[in-house]
Amino acid sequence: MRLGAGGIGFGLFGGLGPVPHVLNQASLEAATNQSGRILVVFEWFGGNDGLNTIVPYGDATYYKHRPTIGIKEKDLLKIDAHIGWHRSMTGMKQLYDEGKVAIIQGVGYDQPSFSHFTSISFWHTGAPNSGNEYGWIGRTAAAIDEAGTRQNLIVNVSDSQTLAVKAEKHVPLVFIDPTRFQRGVFAQEKPVLDALSAGRAPVGDAHKYVQEVTRSAAQASEVVRAAWSKYKGKDNPDLRLLDLDKVAALIEADFPTRLYYVPLRGSLFDTHVNQAAPHDRQLLYCSDAIAGFFQEMKRIGRADDVVMYVHSEFGRRVPENTSLGTDHGTAQVNFVIGNAVKGGLYGTPPNLTDLVLGDNLASTTDFRQVYASLIQNWMGADATRVLGQSFPAMGLFRA
Amino acid sequence: MAAHTPWSPGPPAWKDDLTPMGAADWNYDRAAHLLTHAGFGGTPAEIQKLADMGLERAVRSLVYYENIPNPKMQPFVESGLWDPSLNGFPESRPEATDRAEKQGRSMGVENKPAGNRPVQPASDRFFYWLRATMLETRRVGYWWANRMLQTTHPVEQKMALLWHGHFATHENKVRDYRKMLQQVDLFERGATGNLRDLTIKVAQNPAMLYFLDAQYNVKGAPNENFAREVMELFTMGVGNYTEKDVRECARAFTGWYFDNLTFKVDAAKHDAGPKTFLGRTGPFDGVDVLKIVFEQPVTADYLAGKVYRFLVRDELSPELRKKLGAVLRSHDYEVKPLLLAILSSKDFYSQASYGGHIKGPVEHMVAMMKHLGVESIPGVPDFNQSTIAMGQNLLNPPSVAGWAGGKAWITPGLLIARGNIARDVLIPDMTGFRDWNFSAGSDDILGRRLRDGYEVGAATAVNDPSNMSAFDRVALERDERFNTRISGYTGWEQAARKLIPTPRHAAGFDLTKMVVESGAKTTGDAVDYLTWRLLRIPAAPEMRDALVSFLTKELGTDSIDRARTYLEDPLRMTAHLVMSTPEYQIV
Repeated sequence: MRLGAGGIGFGLFGGLGPVPHVLNQASLEAATNQSGRILVVFEWFGGNDGLNTIVPYGDATYYKHRPTIGIKEKDLLKIDAHIGWHRSMTGMKQLYDEGKVAIIQGVGYDQPSFSHFTSISFWHTGAPNSGNEYGWIGRTAAAIDEAGTRQNLIVNVSDSQTLAVKAEKHVPLVFIDPTRFQRGVFAQEKPVLDALSAGRAPVGDAHKYVQEVTRSAAQASEVVRAAWSKYKGKDNPDLRLLDLDKVAALIEADFPTRLYYVPLRGSLFDTHVNQAAPHDRQLLYCSDAIAGFFQEMKRIGRADDVVMYVHSEFGRRVPENTSLGTDHGTAQVNFVIGNAVKGGLYGTPPNLTDLVLGDNLASTTDFRQVYASLIQNWMGADATRVLGQSFPAMGLFRA
Repeated sequence: MAAHTPWSPGPPAWKDDLTPMGAADWNYDRAAHLLTHAGFGGTPAEIQKLADMGLERAVRSLVYYENIPNPKMQPFVESGLWDPSLNGFPESRPEATDRAEKQGRSMGVENKPAGNRPVQPASDRFFYWLRATMLETRRVGYWWANRMLQTTHPVEQKMALLWHGHFATHENKVRDYRKMLQQVDLFERGATGNLRDLTIKVAQNPAMLYFLDAQYNVKGAPNENFAREVMELFTMGVGNYTEKDVRECARAFTGWYFDNLTFKVDAAKHDAGPKTFLGRTGPFDGVDVLKIVFEQPVTADYLAGKVYRFLVRDELSPELRKKLGAVLRSHDYEVKPLLLAILSSKDFYSQASYGGHIKGPVEHMVAMMKHLGVESIPGVPDFNQSTIAMGQNLLNPPSVAGWAGGKAWITPGLLIARGNIARDVLIPDMTGFRDWNFSAGSDDILGRRLRDGYEVGAATAVNDPSNMSAFDRVALERDERFNTRISGYTGWEQAARKLIPTPRHAAGFDLTKMVVESGAKTTGDAVDYLTWRLLRIPAAPEMRDALVSFLTKELGTDSIDRARTYLEDPLRMTAHLVMSTPEYQIV
């Protein structure tokens, strides 16, 4: 394990950057917010069917609601006498058996929206039925680095910037394809291009924005590309990390990024129709990707420093519809994964009998409780400041 | 260079003012602004023509285009990939092979009566169509882009592009290029017509019906997908209806379905009972509820705001949105009067509307051709690959919400891609280019192994079986009667045999001729000409100086006359630099 990553090094000296710190103001500041700790948010957009992910097979009501698409007990990877993993999720189950996965059931918020876009915007801003100009990850960055001077504190692996990472001072590094993240220039053009990027007074807001992104692109593209070209995992055809491979590459390259946000593209969890086959496949890909990612973290020697958080924008309706699928719902299952996580079951499992809002689950845990735990107990930042109010921590991490 | 009218944004006080600009305030620069926003920009000759017309005639000629001949518009030429046995194409590979297992045949192919992998033909057939429709859709996108470039009705194409992103469906799910083509035609015909009519036609369009699961919306078991999106995204916006309205609306659409390319209603599956929807009660069907939706004032505000943001600038005040909504409503949702009002208004020519819009990738690519005087979209670089790299895959918007647009078009990665695509157009990599239509991507290795004599099992084996993921284990389990990995490769091969190749020519233009004909004597003149022609925000002095010294150094002289015989590539590099600036991304 390089630099004795995790347990030993980071408490006092924050010594995981490329250059070891001495104990100066900067490293003290870093130490207070747990320098070296990384949060990766893996967003499963589309509305994941939590009841067919962590399946309450011990509850006969489940099969009453889902006579056709309910997953049979024999097909599950059992957790206890009541619930089991969907059988595609062998990778996640393995991590769970090793005590590294917190399963949080019944996560949601009051007065839930059934719109993909509205609900995900609530999750992105951490402000349900309200709003915030900046995202919760962007505000967490501000709580970690007040001055906004740290470069590349946030990475967003996406083809467009996710609202969750929008920040007041930090410019999130947004990219999707590292091999294309490079200015193609002829040698003689290079010095001129840099001069052209030097600012002029913007004519308006859109112009100002493009100028800022131009500066961010100039400083980031070279390092991202270098990290990708050196990344060993990309040569392993048996690793299917989805877009988590870019995160692994940057972590291997010792990027200063503390907050990674990876939204899964394509609404593949939106299973209105004949959901069994696509949902099986989707969980398979995601579970394999997460297991592969932590395998990579182990190889790189950073498994102790990385925590992943998985959520969707909502769960799905409890009864199946007549198209062998499910419609938009409310409470969902979340996962928090990593060596530092105290594995186990969290939250109150939603009640399948007392449904609300037209056949929906009543949520039992406000998602901002999970956010607060991640911000405060993992990232060492002030969760109350980020979320605008105080939420009880959930004790998701080992002491 | 008569056209060197200075940059002419109107006064800030014109913002939000919908009264028409005075005829005397019309000039070349404002004509350029008009053609850029209403269409895809133009050559200096096209802009001059509008400038000569005066404001009112110029705007009317763009909006009332029906009688203007449009000789270059040609129908799409199909490769002939589809046949009727593909009707009712299965939704997934498991469904395709299960059907074959049960019926002995599927999608027009028989199972093998004996021997290895008896269901392989069905699996191959499934992947054949998956690849075929994807490849043909790329051709549809390329064909459409050429229409945008070559049309004499730029507003028609610009608005069709808007409606494609607004009523978004993607081929990835629809899996039938013919339905996508049908939709492009619908958006073109309805581009500037009545929005109620267009929305009803969209609701009855097979691609949309399939995309939002209409075939599963039946009496007694409504599927809400379409009902929700039609209100949230297509007409009213979230927060203007209740969950009950969604459910009632879904009931009204029950029984709507399609057969091949035709809309149909199954009376037996339609719920004819009374519904209470947005405060009205009656035995409504889909058309009835859409008519009620269009009686809501928020619908006009929502749609007018969408048109404005697409054409003019990314941000607009709630007050302006209401004013625009009132225009649309007072004309019973006819689009042309709204366009006329927007494009003639002081607001449109105000400072706020100059440089307030980030070009979308397709718009950007077509505008680039206009700026360079190119007459057909080049084959190198590939059009679709280029716009995908910049964040927009035509006929495949990312979700039913379409493209977010505005600032979402620009990230560090996408911005860099814009500069790179500009270089690929200006200085194309003709010898390094590979046609992606004839590469099976990661499946190429299977083809190589099979042609090298590997058995199917060996050709498709993972490299390190000890590290096998759940994916591979499941694949193995399911591969006993067919091998899907081979099908992925074979399907591509079979589709590519029939596919009409895309021409792979470089963009045709001559910067030397343009610069020389502009009367440029010095490298300074040449840079002034190029920046004037390409940019809608004037070049800052530092930018001009950097470009002039670059061009002078490349030419070895500041005399255009002296360097006349070897001007072209240095001019192209200069244009590449201009197109890489923040200023070029904005209009």
